[in-house]
Amino acid sequence: MSPVPAAALLASLAVLALAAERPWLVAAIAVGLLVTCLRAPRARRFVYLAGTLVSSLLVFVLSPFVSQQGSHVLWEGPRVPVLGLLDVTSEELANGGIQALRLAAVGLAFAAYVLLLDLDRLLHAAGFARRSVLAVGLATRLVPTLERDAAGFVEALRGRGVEVNGIRGRARLLSPLVAGSLERSLNLAEAMEARGFGRPGRTRAPSPAWSTFDRATMAMALLIVLVSIWA
Amino acid sequence: MGLVRVDELTFSYPEAPAPSLANISLRIEPGEVVALLGPSGSGKSTLLRALAGLVPHFHGGRFEGRVEIDGRDTRRRGPAELAGRVASLFQDPEDQVVFGRVANEVAFGLENVGTPPGLIWPRVHAGLAEAGIEHLVDRRTETLSAGELQRVCLASVLALEPALLLLDEPTSQLDPDGAEALLDLAVELDSAVVVSEQRPALPLERCDRVLFLEGGRILLDAARGPALDWLAANRPGYLPGEAATLPDGELEGEELCRLDGVTYSYVEEPVLSGVSLTLRRGEIVALTGANGIGKTTLAKIAAGLLTAEHGSVERRGRVCYLSQDPGRYLITDRAEDEVALAVGGDRGRARAALREVGLAGLERRHPRDLSSGERERLALASVLVADPEILILDEPTRGVDPPRKAELAELLRRDAPRRATLVVTHDLVFAGEVADRGIALGAREPVRV
Repeated sequence: MSPVPAAALLASLAVLALAAERPWLVAAIAVGLLVTCLRAPRARRFVYLAGTLVSSLLVFVLSPFVSQQGSHVLWEGPRVPVLGLLDVTSEELANGGIQALRLAAVGLAFAAYVLLLDLDRLLHAAGFARRSVLAVGLATRLVPTLERDAAGFVEALRGRGVEVNGIRGRARLLSPLVAGSLERSLNLAEAMEARGFGRPGRTRAPSPAWSTFDRATMAMALLIVLVSIWA
Repeated sequence: MGLVRVDELTFSYPEAPAPSLANISLRIEPGEVVALLGPSGSGKSTLLRALAGLVPHFHGGRFEGRVEIDGRDTRRRGPAELAGRVASLFQDPEDQVVFGRVANEVAFGLENVGTPPGLIWPRVHAGLAEAGIEHLVDRRTETLSAGELQRVCLASVLALEPALLLLDEPTSQLDPDGAEALLDLAVELDSAVVVSEQRPALPLERCDRVLFLEGGRILLDAARGPALDWLAANRPGYLPGEAATLPDGELEGEELCRLDGVTYSYVEEPVLSGVSLTLRRGEIVALTGANGIGKTTLAKIAAGLLTAEHGSVERRGRVCYLSQDPGRYLITDRAEDEVALAVGGDRGRARAALREVGLAGLERRHPRDLSSGERERLALASVLVADPEILILDEPTRGVDPPRKAELAELLRRDAPRRATLVVTHDLVFAGEVADRGIALGAREPVRV
């Protein structure tokens, strides 16, 4: 499948998950996307799946404490300044559950986009806003680059007999990681300019034409968005 | 009229105390091959950037004088406008790659300069074939070795068919055969080529002319023959050295590290299979071999940074490993603190180690404010400070100028009796100068030493 219809389909599923009211539908989208993400190599998918799972669980656990809705109280706690009376109702739990599912579906759609789509072909297919698409493509590559840099720092420290343990040990790598990525982005910008990026009159290498399946997928994505908005 | 005309060029980077280039004037004719030599920080990279229009357009700073490429004044035409006529290959390929697939990476420059769409893919394939890597056309760039990635970057500039090719230490990550092939390819083109190198032997054998820079000024601009005479008289360290043949027999001495029948794989294909190695106190061992053959993997296993899948590893005493990427030694805010990391924050020892590698006076400088040559030395100080029993150095001469290489060899030789030292290197001249014995890691056969 061409990357543009595939990206459109993923975006439409994320929109549907945000708009849908029925938990089973949101859950079905999340499960479908999870199965799709499992096609990616285990080492690459772990970060994205773990990140999505942790954020969704946090939403599910925290939202009953910060929202005030429903009358079927399951647990009542102390009164806390700013937040008021801490309680958990069955309605809050149900709401927390669907919000967590929505977040999971959106996170998994993004994970499938990063892990499985050929971003080069997506960029190639971008007929307009090419600079923005390129920026998104390069930003998407930032995560694996940071992972590699962090591993390199840890290895160089271990090579000097310095072990990196715990949150504090890893936290001191944050500043050099950010500084390193800024330095790299400057080097990349210089190399891109030297290769003519930004010059008027650019052309585009021919890409393969869309198949019938690509067109059908694009139509389905549009239909899903329209149904989400209309329903 | 020449292809390149530089008149009275003086340039200072923003906030720099002194100019990086001072009163530079030169001409380069079409098809001429120029070797650009000089110590670290002499202004070689800045001159290449000025010829590409990146100085002053990308870097800012104070620019006086005139640079014209093919009649185009670089003050009025920026690097993007010069692209196609001028193509640059920088030192670190990882910082140049934009796309995830090799074919798209090579096509990027062609698209930017407005190549007719029907010609783009044929020229991509021609560029890849010229660089000898047509088989990599569908590979993802993140799966390539540094040497392969450098060739992809070379293919990207060859596909542009430039009139002026600027090479900034293009062979720093390549094995000797790869480096020779890359420079042979560059000089066979119709383009004029300016190549800056810290392993001067290869460009000196192939160039028509030599420029020697020091302190931002041209000390020498001469044809190859007279230039070799001048180097012999004034800067002998830059003359092509002979790669000595190292003995491969073990010396006597206490065994500090022993690897026996070690096997390791990153994906499915083993990188190392049944490899054995012994390091003894008092000896320096040079580990050489082609790109991607497993030298770094073997060094990391010896250092305890990777665990062998099969075989045994024994070590006695403290091990320190110097990564080939000096960018990994930029964690703290001061050079002395970076070095002190390995000795529990002892700044006194850190300052002494910085003095040893010629960085006295820069102790409080932020590591990221150091030049690339200074960063290399900071990384070296960061491991030497611990005075380890087993010292493993992975490409310690990358980007280091010949006089500094000689100093490094002397430093390693001086401390050699205290420890076992393993030097992984592509620099066979340096290996000959520093090592007692050599191990050439073979393509498929286990190495038993």
